[in-house]
Amino acid sequence: MRPRRRAAALSVLPGTVSADLAATYEAVIIGAGLQGLALSYELARRGYGRVAVLDSAYPGAGASGRNGEMIRSAFASREWIGLFDDSLRRWQTLSQELDFNVLFTRAGYLVLASTKEAQRAFSRNVEVQRSFGLHVELLDAHDVGRLCPAMAPEMIAGGILQLDAGFAHHDAAVWAYARAAARHGVEIHPYTTVTGIGVQRDAISSVSTSRGEISTKVVVDAAGGQAREVALMAGVDIPVETFRLEAMVTEPLGPFLRPAVSSPAIMGYCHQTTRGEFVGGTEPDAPRPSSSITTTFAGARDMATKFVRLFPRLAGVRLMRHWSGLVTQTADIAPILGRAPHREGFYLDCGWVYGFVGAPAAASLMADLISTGSTPAALAPFGIERFASGALIRETSLVVAPAAAGER
Amino acid sequence: MTKTILCLCRDVTAEDVERAVAEGYGDLETLKRFTGACTGPCQGKTCLESIRRLVADLTGRALEDVPAPPRRPPVRPVRLGTFAAEDEP
Repeated sequence: MRPRRRAAALSVLPGTVSADLAATYEAVIIGAGLQGLALSYELARRGYGRVAVLDSAYPGAGASGRNGEMIRSAFASREWIGLFDDSLRRWQTLSQELDFNVLFTRAGYLVLASTKEAQRAFSRNVEVQRSFGLHVELLDAHDVGRLCPAMAPEMIAGGILQLDAGFAHHDAAVWAYARAAARHGVEIHPYTTVTGIGVQRDAISSVSTSRGEISTKVVVDAAGGQAREVALMAGVDIPVETFRLEAMVTEPLGPFLRPAVSSPAIMGYCHQTTRGEFVGGTEPDAPRPSSSITTTFAGARDMATKFVRLFPRLAGVRLMRHWSGLVTQTADIAPILGRAPHREGFYLDCGWVYGFVGAPAAASLMADLISTGSTPAALAPFGIERFASGALIRETSLVVAPAAAGER
Repeated sequence: MTKTILCLCRDVTAEDVERAVAEGYGDLETLKRFTGACTGPCQGKTCLESIRRLVADLTGRALEDVPAPPRRPPVRPVRLGTFAAEDEP
């Protein structure tokens, strides 16, 4: 008779718990994506008290496991550079800090200029970036051709290379934060759907879930593509719209592309992973709001056409898998970070488009805010108040397709 | 010494799966990402059902309680040049 295997306790992911919810937590974070997990870790590290992270699926099931996993801080505005360069520095030592290899690869990050006009704008951006101490170089067409020999020469007019940027493994980053948070006592509850948020006299009092009621005075909305629905449960309407983005991965290839590449001309971004696959995504010409995560033939065709234009040798390479994910965009494409208006104890960490890059710094700054009550200077520009005051953040170096007029 | 290879594309063995489940990757969604199983050119067509059965066995669940990850297009790998080709006039 074949010996029976011993049934292991069912765990969704190392760091998650299958125990019942406690009656009370110091803070409840809704969304076990990179933002929520990193924030839980940073809070626990500060000795904040009992913290729970709830997710309707498994950790990293949303955009955290669907993004392009590219990392840079070479943006064009003080606000973006401030937040994202803090994050880049954390990425560079994150594997050591969290004691888990997130496969951060310092391969460089190239923003490609395909026209002389783009290259002129880039030469101004480089000056700004240098003034903030970023390790950037303005490359001419010859330099880019040497860096990326597989790239079509007619697509190359120049570019900005950030030398100490690159990419990481998005799932590994989720697992690393989940494990580190759990070691600090955070309870991560997968497959636990939030159904309501209790508010008493304009202050957070409880969270209702598919697995029972929780009493808490602090709730963080880190729900990614569902952030607006979650905020509405607390009676807060946040100015975001949800868009579907599509991405693809090819069969593995021998090394042909070293840096992460972002191209405003094709509105696309791509890199070659450490196991050889080419991974990338492109944005549609006129995105329309959607919360669907099905994939489209038009999306596959758009990506194939643009990436073959950029790297002609990819024409003979097979697309292996194609998926989609959601971003929630604000009017200025910057995230919403900070307190929610008129709701004591309700915090927002959502509206992300460059969320994978930004998570380590945002989590630390949000944990400072929640644990001390005062808003760190680097966090202040990202508050929700900017949409009422009109003090939007002006950032010109994003590779994000503008939505059709009037839809944002 | 014998090895039982379940995922031929990514060279994932039964022992790899047992170790991953013991470590806490008991959900096929996280197990496939951690081991790489089902993420090669066949996209799980060869190995998914054997891995599902092994995970059900290891975690003491019925097969129907071990949901399979969603299938993603394309059904078979397709050359990018095929997608990118111009329409016929």
